[in-house]
Amino acid sequence: MGYELRTNVVEPVRNGFSYLTERFGDRPATRYQEASFNVQPMENFQYRPTWDADHELYDPNYSALKLTDPYGYTDPRQYYYTPYVANAADRHESFAQTLKYIEDRRLLDKLPENWHTVLTGFVLPLRHYEQGAQLISTNASRFGYGTTVTQAACFASFDRIGNAQLLSLIGLALASGAADTLTDAKKNWLYAPHLQGLRRMVEELLVEPDWAAGLIGLDLLDEQLYPLLYEHLDERSLFRNAAAYSLLARHFNDWYAGHRKWLNALIKAWTKDPQHSDANTKVLGEVVDRWYPRACGAVREFARGLADSAGSVSVAGAAERGVAELAASLTRAGIPVNAPEGVTA
Amino acid sequence: MAKAKLSMRERYRLLTRDLDWEPTYVDPKKVYPYTRYEGIKIHDWDAWDDPFRLTIDSYCKYQAEKDKKLYAVIDGFAQGQGHLSLTDARYVNSLKLFLQGVTPLEYQAHRHFGYLARHLDGPGARFAALCQSIDELRHTQTEIHTISQYNKYYGGLHNWSRMHDRVWYLSVPKSFFDDGLSAGPFEFLTAISFSFEYFLTNLLFVPFMSGASFNGDLATMTFGFSAQSDESRHMTLGLEVLKFMLEQDEDNVPIIQDWVDKWFWRGYRLLGLVAAMMDYMLPRKIMSWKEAFELYLEQQMLEGLFPDLEYYGIRPPRHVEQAITEKEYMSHQVYWILYQFSFAASFNTTVPTDEELDWMSGAYPETFDRFYRPLWERARRLEEEGNRFFFRGLPMLCQTCQIPMGFSEPGDPSTLSIRTSQFRGERFNFCSDGCKWIFDREPEKYVQAWLPVHQIYQGNCGGTTIPEVLNWYGIQDGVDNGEYLTSPDKANWDKWHTGAVVGGA
Ligand SMILES: [Fe+2]
Ligand SMILES: [Fe+2]
Ligand SMILES: [Zn+2]
Repeated sequence: MGYELRTNVVEPVRNGFSYLTERFGDRPATRYQEASFNVQPMENFQYRPTWDADHELYDPNYSALKLTDPYGYTDPRQYYYTPYVANAADRHESFAQTLKYIEDRRLLDKLPENWHTVLTGFVLPLRHYEQGAQLISTNASRFGYGTTVTQAACFASFDRIGNAQLLSLIGLALASGAADTLTDAKKNWLYAPHLQGLRRMVEELLVEPDWAAGLIGLDLLDEQLYPLLYEHLDERSLFRNAAAYSLLARHFNDWYAGHRKWLNALIKAWTKDPQHSDANTKVLGEVVDRWYPRACGAVREFARGLADSAGSVSVAGAAERGVAELAASLTRAGIPVNAPEGVTA
Repeated sequence: MAKAKLSMRERYRLLTRDLDWEPTYVDPKKVYPYTRYEGIKIHDWDAWDDPFRLTIDSYCKYQAEKDKKLYAVIDGFAQGQGHLSLTDARYVNSLKLFLQGVTPLEYQAHRHFGYLARHLDGPGARFAALCQSIDELRHTQTEIHTISQYNKYYGGLHNWSRMHDRVWYLSVPKSFFDDGLSAGPFEFLTAISFSFEYFLTNLLFVPFMSGASFNGDLATMTFGFSAQSDESRHMTLGLEVLKFMLEQDEDNVPIIQDWVDKWFWRGYRLLGLVAAMMDYMLPRKIMSWKEAFELYLEQQMLEGLFPDLEYYGIRPPRHVEQAITEKEYMSHQVYWILYQFSFAASFNTTVPTDEELDWMSGAYPETFDRFYRPLWERARRLEEEGNRFFFRGLPMLCQTCQIPMGFSEPGDPSTLSIRTSQFRGERFNFCSDGCKWIFDREPEKYVQAWLPVHQIYQGNCGGTTIPEVLNWYGIQDGVDNGEYLTSPDKANWDKWHTGAVVGGA
């Protein structure tokens, strides 16, 4: 009884944290807003890093890409920790169900020989690509400026290592629980000619000092690889009795669609920034000039390998369309593409 | 064809560290540039033994379930106006200290375990760091969400992150963590994973979480329980990583010993704030600082852990005997500092009640009645005469720990301790031998310190008058700061607790 009365008489003294009511108006904030805005330390850092005396511990100058308001970016998915892990848990659960279904029906055994090759020679080695992507994303989560950006990068890095683990599970399933397929996939990643362009570019991105340039460079690969492997080949697999491939591809395709959301919004925040939009667009153009030709070259090499070993007649054409679509999507995002594409680095 | 199934260990290896490869198109030293300059030698990262077998799917599933339960409690507590069932509004001061002083450290840990997850050469250790990085984000965010409901009803909480960057007493935790982040990756591991998360963790978290449960704060208590399984992973990692570094090369031992010494004293000084909170801010006490120190530090660590570490050539931390001496009075000295300067703090202080004074006499028989009871009785007289005592002026700060110079000579509570060092022709002050020793090892680092009092004198804090500085701090004068008995928190609490009767009449 007392409780009910109390809820009637006790009025809040304030609606929310000062910096949130200043930003969003004098009303209660959402959990995303509370979890994300003004959380990072911003000033009065005590000591310079001994590992990089030219920067502060948190410093907008870890990248040439700038936001006037570090919190001018919002993740359209509004992910903070709890919804992120809930969503990731569902994703992994639903993948596990698919894999179980595939194993129960022995669909991997029924894969035509060349689709088997697609998986072992081309898709599974990308578990290493995904780990490289994790490192690049983790770098962004440490060196980015402002929690809305860095937490999205943190979740991306977790997703990437998650993707690497999902690919590894496919490899284990293909070898009936043994390591052989994964061992071969690693050899391919290290030595197969058609994968060296990709590996080289990932390694070069790992030493890219600007975290945002690393992220964009990686995205130039993602934007070609994901549609090629999980859209184009998914469609082909349906006509080629490769049901297992299609069932698995869907998960990566879905993930990629969600991944695009936060990253597209970030690119947009850079190019539409009230003060830095011109400078950012120029920087993005330079990053693209540097990495786009190499990305296109690496994916072409990869596609050529696919065409040769898996006998795919359509994949080279699909890769070319991917190159053109990437250029078009960069242009749509306002990023100039000056470099001639297709130069193998 | 059926093949032999993999062991769990091998399967785990394939899902984690086997993802790694040695770069050949670029110099691997450029990919991991920061792991050689500290002098720590790692010969074989493969010898790293994963202390737990987490994969992304099991991690997310387990954590999502925990969060579901946690948020159900937080929501229920908020809807039922749970804050009204606290022992007293005075308790909320410990939450203020927690949100301003500890939550930002969780966040710093989140970001910098990301640095380790990117920059350690060993993939097993990197993956463990990645999991801890995202855990610490969880702690940051669940703490904000848990304490957010208190912010709606109590002062001092509404500007915590800005305060952490600016306010004088919060430069104590901030400088501690900035010290760790600005060090190299192996020192950071020793400082945070080992010293903070293993060696000192029970003295940091247990007082806050038990304080919550003893004082009716079900929301914070539930947060504490929910974070416990994460923290036990962090503790395990802290010990494993220390042993790993020690086992890799004998030359690592003296370097790590130095870090153990440094981070013990650095952490111990930071715990001064916790000691004051335990003995003075909790209306219902859990145990005294002295008892907590004896249990968690002397018994569990000095008698439990360090005999094991002797095998690796590690001895108990330098200056620990001074900390043991100080257990008799440290909390009283720190709270007295906070009491005098709380006109510029985002929490309220007050003289302990008679019942509390008696409790302290019992808990500190050697020192309390002799040195501190008279102090509090005098402060109470002044308060009753309408002259609540505040120190007018700005204190001198220790260059290392940044606590105002209010500690005494070890074992002699009546004599102020001051140590000094000269560096580049300038004189620097320290509260203790430990802080001076830390400075003297790395003077180039500690001369950079952003000392709040110096900054005020230099005009970098919004002005030179108290109202200007408070405004710059984001402290609302008369709402967030000063004496508890005359605070809006106390007035509201009284109103709410009589209001129920009036409303129900
Ligand atoms: Fe934590
Ligand atoms: Fe932790
Ligand atoms: Zn000190």
